Amino acid sequence: MASEITIDPVTRIEGHARIRISLGDAGQVADAQFQVTQFRGFEKICQGRPLAEMPSLMARICGICPVSHLIASAKACDRILAVKPPKTGADLRALMNLAQVVQSNALSLFHLASPDLLFGFDADPATRSIVGVAKVHPQLAMDGIYLRKFGQHAIELLGGKRIHPAWIVPGGVESPLTAEKRDEIRAMIPEAYAAADRALAWYKNNLLSWAEEAETFGSFQSAFMALVDPDGNVAHYDGRLRVVDHDGTLLADFDAYDYADYIGEYTDEASFLKPTYFKPRGIENGLYRVGTLARAIVAERFGTPRADAELEEFRARFGRYPSSSFHYHQTRLLDILYGIERMEMFLNDPDILATRVSSHAEVNRNVGIGVAEAPRGTLIHHYVVDDDGIIQTANLIIATGHNAAAMNASVLQVARHFVKGERIEEGMLNRVEAVIRCYDPCLSCSTHAMGQMPLHISLVDQDGEVLDEVRR
Amino acid sequence: MTNRRPLVIAYGNRLRGDDAVGWVVADALRDDVRMDLVDVVAVHQLTPDLANEVTKASRVVFVDARLDGAVAPGVIAVDDVLPELVAGSMTHDVGAGTILSLAEALYGVHPPAVAVTVAIKSVEPGADLSGAVSASVSQLVDTVVRLCTETSHA
Repeated sequence: MASEITIDPVTRIEGHARIRISLGDAGQVADAQFQVTQFRGFEKICQGRPLAEMPSLMARICGICPVSHLIASAKACDRILAVKPPKTGADLRALMNLAQVVQSNALSLFHLASPDLLFGFDADPATRSIVGVAKVHPQLAMDGIYLRKFGQHAIELLGGKRIHPAWIVPGGVESPLTAEKRDEIRAMIPEAYAAADRALAWYKNNLLSWAEEAETFGSFQSAFMALVDPDGNVAHYDGRLRVVDHDGTLLADFDAYDYADYIGEYTDEASFLKPTYFKPRGIENGLYRVGTLARAIVAERFGTPRADAELEEFRARFGRYPSSSFHYHQTRLLDILYGIERMEMFLNDPDILATRVSSHAEVNRNVGIGVAEAPRGTLIHHYVVDDDGIIQTANLIIATGHNAAAMNASVLQVARHFVKGERIEEGMLNRVEAVIRCYDPCLSCSTHAMGQMPLHISLVDQDGEVLDEVRR
Repeated sequence: MTNRRPLVIAYGNRLRGDDAVGWVVADALRDDVRMDLVDVVAVHQLTPDLANEVTKASRVVFVDARLDGAVAPGVIAVDDVLPELVAGSMTHDVGAGTILSLAEALYGVHPPAVAVTVAIKSVEPGADLSGAVSASVSQLVDTVVRLCTETSHA
């Protein structure tokens, strides 16, 4: 009897989504899909707005990664104005983006993933939560909170407020950094290093506990895409987009302006999320991954000593091109460590206090494309304006869209491994959800949760009869 | 303890219609002379790091939109917020009660807290409040001011 299991909504990710698992006649998992059930209306909202408003408007899409939207948007605007921000303006933008990389990755790892990692995937959901982590391993929870606070406070000092700062503008940033603010951020760095080091040590010490999950959580061959700098190292603010295959074969290396030659989008009738594919391989075979794991695979190195030492250890353990999406967790910690190091390097550069931080111009082009590495992966903003700088069309390709096909493949793999029979077991369903959380999808155009969001799981046969149902 | 001040935490998405009401209230509170001794924070959604901030407050007032089809848009409610024993795992962000639980688990203390919510009409993408919710803003502000100043004088 063919049946379907629906997990709706998936918990502990940004926004609203559900997972649908279809069982074949013999009860085996036949298919699985990650579906986004909310509508993104932001591209429509942009139309008719003046170009200068775009960065701050786009930042309001998301409360977790607003700075990435600010940067991709401002860079698209730079292209339309045909201006290049002064070096200090660009460095300050990059500094703020790194602060966000630290705080957002910390939220994902410590708040969303650590309950599974600490208590195990079969643990009672009543204890498998951030409050449970705080009670059992308070240092881990405190470190997560500190790294969040460090990143948020740096953003607040740079931009005047920690959520939706309008400081990044077309042409650069609105105001220079003062020595007092620089010193205040710098003073927090030693404890940030200590928190990241403790978390990495804890994670590596417990790796063996998650061996089965590491083997089955999205472990498949695929391409990976990330920004790299001229030396081929990790870059979050600017660079060229590079795509490598599962064995490291270089598939493409291109300027973001040419993204449409390499990245295609298609619609899925069951989901509002628009998946992407690597065009040269077509939709069927064009799956690729972005985000922290992709950055660690695509780049030669991070280019900072602490993160590179950790990367070397990571590669010695899992190989140069690891295939499991479970390793997003560890690479998230590497990304945090790199973020702190790069922030320190920027802050130690005397030029960071230079007062020329923006360039000014009128509309000189009608098309602008901006790219940045958000915590979850590559973010592309593509605008078309009229001669007065009024937005005619906007297209945003977010990391979750890049990873959509990989998330589907990962859910299918986990479901086939862990879902048995027609009964809904807590551990199996949590693993199906947990593999999605590896990608830390951000569907944050949603409203915040209004009170308790129920988890509703139903097992339905082909005639619509409910065979099993779980609410929690 | 004597230097602790009330803390207002308003939250919501500024691009989702009435869900922005918390931000509108926060903006008004920041300009309100009655709020000199009160801290005001506006965030997109509640996150665990707020646990650290609430431990420094004498009282916390959460300001939020409330989707409630049974009540007319614009109707205001004030409810106590208690620590949640089961937290986080059901939501992608955290609830107000979870913030208190985290504060208690990590810092051994949490302040008393209330939630001031207003029934809303729409969370469709857009930057404007609906008429009934917009009309409720001044009453929301007065309610929050009263809750904060009562605490200040207590």
